[in-house]
Amino acid sequence: MPFLILALMAAGVILLISASKDMSTYNSFAQVKAASEPSKVVGILAKDKPMYYDAEKDPNLFKFFMTDQSGELHEVTLHSAKPQDFELSEQVVVTGQFEGDEFVASSILMKCPSKYKNEEVLVRSNM
Amino acid sequence: MQDIQYIGEHLLPGRLGHFFVVTAFVSAILAVLSFRKATLNPDDLSWRRFSRWSWGIHAFSLYSVIGLIFYMMTHKMYEYKYVWDHTNDSLPFKYIFSAFWEGQEGSFLLWMFWHVNLGIAVLFLAKKWAPGVMTWLSSIQVVLVSMIAGIYFADNFKMGSSPFSLLRETMNIPLFTRPDYITMIEGNGLNPLLQNYWMTIHPPTLFLGFASVSIPFCFAMTGLWMKEHTAWLKPAMPWTLFSAGVLGTGVLMGGAWAYEALSFGGYWAWDPVENMSLVPWLILLAGLHANFISRHTNHSIKTTYIFYLMAFLLVVYSTFLTRSGILGEESVHAFTQMGLEWQLVSFIFIYLGLGTYFIVSRNKSIPVVKKEELMQSREFWMFVGALILAFSSILISFTTSIPVWNKLIDVYGSIVGKGDMTAYHKAMPIDPVDHHNRFQLWIAVLVTVISSIGQVLRFNAMGWDVHKKRFWKHMAISAGISLVLSYLLSLWIDLRSWQYYVLLMAASFGFVSNLTYIVSFVRQKFTSWASPLSHAGFALMVIGIMVSGLNKRIISENRFAQEGLAEGLNAGENAFLIKGMPMYMNGFWVTYHTDTLVGLTRKYAVEFLKLGEKGDTLEHFTTHPNILYDRKMTKVATANPNTKRYLDRDVFTYVAGLPPEKQDVANVEKIDSALDYKTFYVRSGDSIQVGEYTIRVDSLMLGTKHNGYDPIENDLVVSADVAVHPTADVKEKSADTMAVQSKSAVVKNKRTQFIHPTLFVRKGLLYGLSDQVNDYNLRVRLKASTIDSLLPLDDNLQYEPLVISQGGSIHWKDLLITMKGIDKKIDHPNYKAEEGDIAIQGVFEITGKNGITHAARPLYFIRDGRGLNMKAYIPDLALHIRIESIDPKKEEFHLAVAKSMADPKVAIEIAEKAPRNDYIVLEAILFPGINLFWAGSLIMLFGIFLGLYKRLRKA
Repeated sequence: MPFLILALMAAGVILLISASKDMSTYNSFAQVKAASEPSKVVGILAKDKPMYYDAEKDPNLFKFFMTDQSGELHEVTLHSAKPQDFELSEQVVVTGQFEGDEFVASSILMKCPSKYKNEEVLVRSNM
Repeated sequence: MQDIQYIGEHLLPGRLGHFFVVTAFVSAILAVLSFRKATLNPDDLSWRRFSRWSWGIHAFSLYSVIGLIFYMMTHKMYEYKYVWDHTNDSLPFKYIFSAFWEGQEGSFLLWMFWHVNLGIAVLFLAKKWAPGVMTWLSSIQVVLVSMIAGIYFADNFKMGSSPFSLLRETMNIPLFTRPDYITMIEGNGLNPLLQNYWMTIHPPTLFLGFASVSIPFCFAMTGLWMKEHTAWLKPAMPWTLFSAGVLGTGVLMGGAWAYEALSFGGYWAWDPVENMSLVPWLILLAGLHANFISRHTNHSIKTTYIFYLMAFLLVVYSTFLTRSGILGEESVHAFTQMGLEWQLVSFIFIYLGLGTYFIVSRNKSIPVVKKEELMQSREFWMFVGALILAFSSILISFTTSIPVWNKLIDVYGSIVGKGDMTAYHKAMPIDPVDHHNRFQLWIAVLVTVISSIGQVLRFNAMGWDVHKKRFWKHMAISAGISLVLSYLLSLWIDLRSWQYYVLLMAASFGFVSNLTYIVSFVRQKFTSWASPLSHAGFALMVIGIMVSGLNKRIISENRFAQEGLAEGLNAGENAFLIKGMPMYMNGFWVTYHTDTLVGLTRKYAVEFLKLGEKGDTLEHFTTHPNILYDRKMTKVATANPNTKRYLDRDVFTYVAGLPPEKQDVANVEKIDSALDYKTFYVRSGDSIQVGEYTIRVDSLMLGTKHNGYDPIENDLVVSADVAVHPTADVKEKSADTMAVQSKSAVVKNKRTQFIHPTLFVRKGLLYGLSDQVNDYNLRVRLKASTIDSLLPLDDNLQYEPLVISQGGSIHWKDLLITMKGIDKKIDHPNYKAEEGDIAIQGVFEITGKNGITHAARPLYFIRDGRGLNMKAYIPDLALHIRIESIDPKKEEFHLAVAKSMADPKVAIEIAEKAPRNDYIVLEAILFPGINLFWAGSLIMLFGIFLGLYKRLRKA
């Protein structure tokens, strides 16, 4: 029995190390571009910049601008419908990677203040 | 600020509330002390009595607090912040409970409420264990009450957040300088996402689950404290089973709610708050198994202690993660911080400290069996199973606690003086579902296999030499049947890699083995089915998870758009559907047919048709996703999915997008003002050319056929019947041929379409309803400023007299007026018959210059001896006809006729490039076999409750 417990603990440590490899980090756009693998970017929605969504042309193409924590402004593409009340969000967390110069997000987490009392809405596309 | 005398505030409930919170707090402290005395002096009846009284007062105080809040809510006392935050005038009464526990204070009260009731049950049922258990339970209540105390220490140090705070105490805004502010405020209301029945049933169930974890914990702590390490194991078990059953149900309800109401299309997202409600349940189950072992052998007593302690601590940790705001960027459930962090952290450490202290100090006295468990014993495998569950919990918690690790790194950094540690921060995995599934898949394999083995073995390997033949026979038969089952399932389930094959075989084996166990070993004794049923149910759940997950198909996915996209990124799951236009997607013909407004909800009807090769109908159903408007009906608050349920699959549909003008009334103004309207003055029957289209005003009329118009009494309505067709289309197809659609890709409708721009006057205000032909992107409206010529004031008309008899015709100006006769059947829209009225309508035909004949039916009636009339108005001719009087002797009708326009024309405004407003963006997902998941989980929960029943019956 002690042998079994030891074996399980060893397995546990190995698994936890493996699990921690899955952890990601919050990066800036520049870092994500350099890394060329999916990552998360926290930032603020740029409300003064145009948002693009034309359901008739492509119901799964939504573009908007955000500023990351280093201050860089960049456009984000999401291959999904425009999330409801997106204009109300302030902070957004996008998960995605660069395709050339385009940042393509696989999911967005929006923080909508006041109206939803600081609750957050996660938009998952294609999961 | 000088003292303001506020008017209209109801301060009594708040004061009473504060009083009862303090009483609850003090009585809880007294309960701890007196129950402790009662435990240490079991023969002293006075402590027993005192402690029960303390608990009674504590219970009464809490019930009063809850009752007062309900009272404040139902009486809309917005002077209180909690009431303001969660209710408003238009909140339907059925959601009052949801409003109560929407906020932190309310959910804490819900938790305490359950503790109070459980405590009362303990006092009745736990016999000699009651005082000990209650000591610990009361201590937990002390901590919980402090969370809503709202007591200030030393100016800026606040303990708890009171639900009785006044709004003006928590916000510093100019409004509160007004003594009558209360007349100006209305509540914030309940979040529309929470306005459904799930919010009414899920929190109380879940919180009862959380609260009931405290009981086995309290039993364990009493056993440790009093150094009675075996006697508590039996009475504790029913409580554990109750807790496991209720908490499991609560977690499952959360999944059902997500599936039914959320848009992500699923029942589990590995979201941190979901995870942290699951983890205590897993540890509790581990404790249950350890408890079970220790009941039948003397093994695993220490293990049971540790698991029960951990289960409770994890409940507290879970509430910490949820309420402290630490999950900030990672969870859909992250709530605002309330300043309770230090209290929540203390909560964890107090009990971690106490638990550790007692386990360590009692360590020597806990009985341990020297001999190892035999591999052929049931307890060996149950113990391994409990460890696997613990494993699973560690893995889940590890990832879920990433924000906590980040915080600890920060704390370390500030202690060591390293400054900003954000470079060392980690974030959640990019794909949490994939991440967790990778590990939990193997957990599921182990659990299903181990539970099957353990089920068929006996405690202490009793009679193994004889039993082993039966054991191996059972294993062989089960393995055989499950291989067949796996094979059959593999034909159905899309198994993408070898790991899934392993999981399928393990789950099939778990399912078959536990069921054959029932048949072979315990079929006579129904209550003994509890354990095998639970494990078979779990195995079935796993199969259900596999099918609904692996075979999940996005019907609305546009596969053709995948071209040119990087791997791992999909083209999108949403489809664009035009009203009335069938669209082919992934095997289905999907048509958005109608939408109906009922109250604040717009329900859509979306038809799905699947045809076989011979054109036979394979599947045909309609779903009704809907959207909910906010209470002012100006914008969409939320969209609700609708799922078509079959026995073997579900089709989940959801309106993911609407035309901007339908989403928010503000967009109507924005888009309309951006359009370029051109004005045309036309006569009825004239055509205009705009772009590629010919627009013909067929007629002007009172009333309208516009289907966006909701008639209200006393409205004055005028509209134009307008026909629009592509100029190139010489042949006009009639409206009847609209019914037959060729099922091909979306083609622009090259046919005449009829629209009805409208103007109406309601209560003195003018409203315009434009109409548009979406296929041609043309929007048409009547020029609002011409309303006076369209609906001229009668006083401004120059009536001329005219005499006519029935059957006669007269030329007047450029019109031919013929009186066909009279009609005693009255249909004049403005006429309300009164008793004693004698009324007739004249039946007239008036032919204009262009040869088109119009009908007019002016009304003449006698009321109280007076002759009165109501005119008929033909907008196309600008003609007004009245019957002034009737000469019965000469059989002549004296008319008054007026023409308000010499050359009747209508001013019509037309804009091109009008964006379509007749579509929805739809997401449709197919979930095969999802009922296996629900069925499996229900069977599992049934098994747990059956086990509870078994133990209650024995007791």
